[in-house]
Amino acid sequence: MAMDNLVLTPPPHLRSKEQTAVAMRDVLIALAPITIAALVAFTYNALFNIAVCVGSAMFFELVARKIRKKKVTLSDGSAAVTGLLLALLLPAKIHWLNMIIASFVAVVIVKELMGGLGRNIFNPALFGFVFILIGSGFLASWTGHLGFLPGGFDGVQAATPVAYIKHGLQGAPSYAALLFANYGGAISEVGCFWILLGGAYLLYRKVINWVIPVTILATVFILAYILGSDGLYQILAGGVMLGAFFMATDWVTSPMYRWGQAVFGLIIGICIVLIRLYGGPSGAVAYSILIGNAFVPLLDKVFKPKRFGEVVAA
Amino acid sequence: MAELKTFKGGIHPPYNKELASGKAIKAAPIPSEVVIHLQQHIGAPCEPLVKEGDRVELGQKIGEAQAFVSAPVHASVSGTVKAITEVPNFTGAKVKSVIITPDPEQPEFQKRTGKDLDALTAEEVREIAKEAGLVGMGGAAFPTHVKITPPKDKPIDIVIINACECEPFLTCDHRLLLERTDDLIAGARLLKTAVGAGKVIFGVEANKMDAVDALRSRASSYPDVEVEVLEVKYPEGAEKMLIFALTGRKVPPGKLPSEVGCLVQNVGTAVALYEAAAWGKPLYERVVTVTGPGVREPANLLARIGTPISVLLEACGGLVGNPVKLIMGGPMTGWAQKDASAPVVKGTSGVVVLTSDVVDLGEESECVRCGKCVEVCPMFLSPNFIVQSVKRGQWDKAEMWGALDCFECGCCSFECPAYIPHVQYVRKAKAEIAALKKK
Ligand code: SF4
Ligand code: SF4
Repeated sequence: MAMDNLVLTPPPHLRSKEQTAVAMRDVLIALAPITIAALVAFTYNALFNIAVCVGSAMFFELVARKIRKKKVTLSDGSAAVTGLLLALLLPAKIHWLNMIIASFVAVVIVKELMGGLGRNIFNPALFGFVFILIGSGFLASWTGHLGFLPGGFDGVQAATPVAYIKHGLQGAPSYAALLFANYGGAISEVGCFWILLGGAYLLYRKVINWVIPVTILATVFILAYILGSDGLYQILAGGVMLGAFFMATDWVTSPMYRWGQAVFGLIIGICIVLIRLYGGPSGAVAYSILIGNAFVPLLDKVFKPKRFGEVVAA
Repeated sequence: MAELKTFKGGIHPPYNKELASGKAIKAAPIPSEVVIHLQQHIGAPCEPLVKEGDRVELGQKIGEAQAFVSAPVHASVSGTVKAITEVPNFTGAKVKSVIITPDPEQPEFQKRTGKDLDALTAEEVREIAKEAGLVGMGGAAFPTHVKITPPKDKPIDIVIINACECEPFLTCDHRLLLERTDDLIAGARLLKTAVGAGKVIFGVEANKMDAVDALRSRASSYPDVEVEVLEVKYPEGAEKMLIFALTGRKVPPGKLPSEVGCLVQNVGTAVALYEAAAWGKPLYERVVTVTGPGVREPANLLARIGTPISVLLEACGGLVGNPVKLIMGGPMTGWAQKDASAPVVKGTSGVVVLTSDVVDLGEESECVRCGKCVEVCPMFLSPNFIVQSVKRGQWDKAEMWGALDCFECGCCSFECPAYIPHVQYVRKAKAEIAALKKK
């Protein structure tokens, strides 16, 4: 009998179709609608930004793995996801060097130096974005002036939808515009609808569960209302949708357990509203999610589930 | 339709029961040599009662238990003892074994008849189980007489017969449910006698409605027997999950079912107990499902203990396709074999051959904290953190995350996108923690 190919691996001998690479591919598929919408709106600028961010993220990962003499993991797709998310967070007109720096910080500092995918505490794309946001006002001084590709819309010069939140909504875009086609600060602010479409796909594919997005959106909506702001406007404007569905749900940097995820969403939602109303105009969502990331180890400890049949000691 | 009873967590693997579920039990050929391990079970090994060159008769006791947690072994054929030596078992561990060359003509087992089963006392049933060498036939092979001797301070009110057969591919219990319905019910009621319980509940998964019908019609005259239909989900037949699904009782971590007044026994064991009590027949043969895409003609074979699995595979027309896994037991918890030499033991429920087109041998990568393992773990453990602790050598943490409560069902690894073999890490943690506790 033909038994030369028998392998001796431990049980179970059957497995589902789950694979890290498949999940990353699903994230890329889910990002397709918003990416296409961004390309339509910002044409060459968006294309250039995405190419630079994705390309450099993959390049840095390749080099970092080689230097650390680790297996090259480009095929898991996580570098591509990081690069694409980074590009989507940035405005259309931004100097390419900014993007390279952000990408380096995201992939090399935040991810690889922490041990690679799975060990990082902070969301790489968000950290890279915030790094250049803070970094000596790079964004403010370089965009507009040094952007060298023609075409597209200059997002930072005009008042972004988020800027209206602090100073009142007179003249702000309508809900419908925010859902479908308003051009805000980042190239991904071209209609929440496209993001929701991707989010629905991720939920359908069970890559993410509903707890984090729903708690973030609900918290923002309710807290904004309580503080006298327009809750619906707040969840539609800026990067809340993208953050809630694609960044805060990042497997590696979000809590493991359902209750931990709910509290995580709550923390992020509260931070978003407070920063928007009382802090600076840009990056509220990014800062909030990074703050949430920092709480993850604690949340995993606190919300460790009780074992089957375990009685809680009173 | 009302919601079926079940537990929380678990998975839905591909079941593939149809390969063998319609195949009636038939006798496997007698091999040219049977290899009977003197340790077939959890607990102490047996001492051989025979020596090289001795004649043995079918059913003769050839190994005597030396401790309470142990079970004697019996000759599965009439023949001559060829050797007593160490032979690797299906896990690869070497165990002392009696090798018998069978006579060319094998006798029929002489059934004793006329025994009044209702007159047996608890003590007598336990003694019968012990003498017949009964062990749990679902795989774990824990000596039955020990299990049916509950601690005095823990009265048992419910006997549960695990008729879930939640392991994919396997159908031996399904066949017993259909073909030995009356004997099974009688065996279950003997278990009830042994522990002094008030009732028997059969828990059957909803993919075996023919078995449910058979049980219900045959058990209708017994007010103390209930038949419950359970959701088809793995591991529905795990003791703690099954008890919870049927009774709502939760066995606390580290405790036995007797803690909540339950005894769980497998279908095969109940039938074997009936045979032992009514016929005086010791456990020397069992039904083994030989199946999988790599087996030409899947079948449910009544095989003598000690039959090499190669003989069973040949009886099923040999292998087809490109077999990459030869598994002793079910595909979720069974042991991969390097060849077909391992002999059948009392706990062998199946021989499953998987081919390259159904086996996914992905490479283990870093945990991405997706939480899927946590979601499916029926014990509500954190398999990812157990693995992380093991990798770091933090045994106290591994215990804190639940390594000792893991019953190795494999749900976590089944769902893990990073191909992490959690069960292997858990076994390592259990061994290390046990070693530390001894110190
Ligand atoms: S399923 Fe695998 S990758 Fe996901 S959290 Fe568990 S161990 Fe990590
Ligand atoms: S940790 Fe253990 S009990 Fe939990 S799913 Fe994994 S193997 Fe099963």
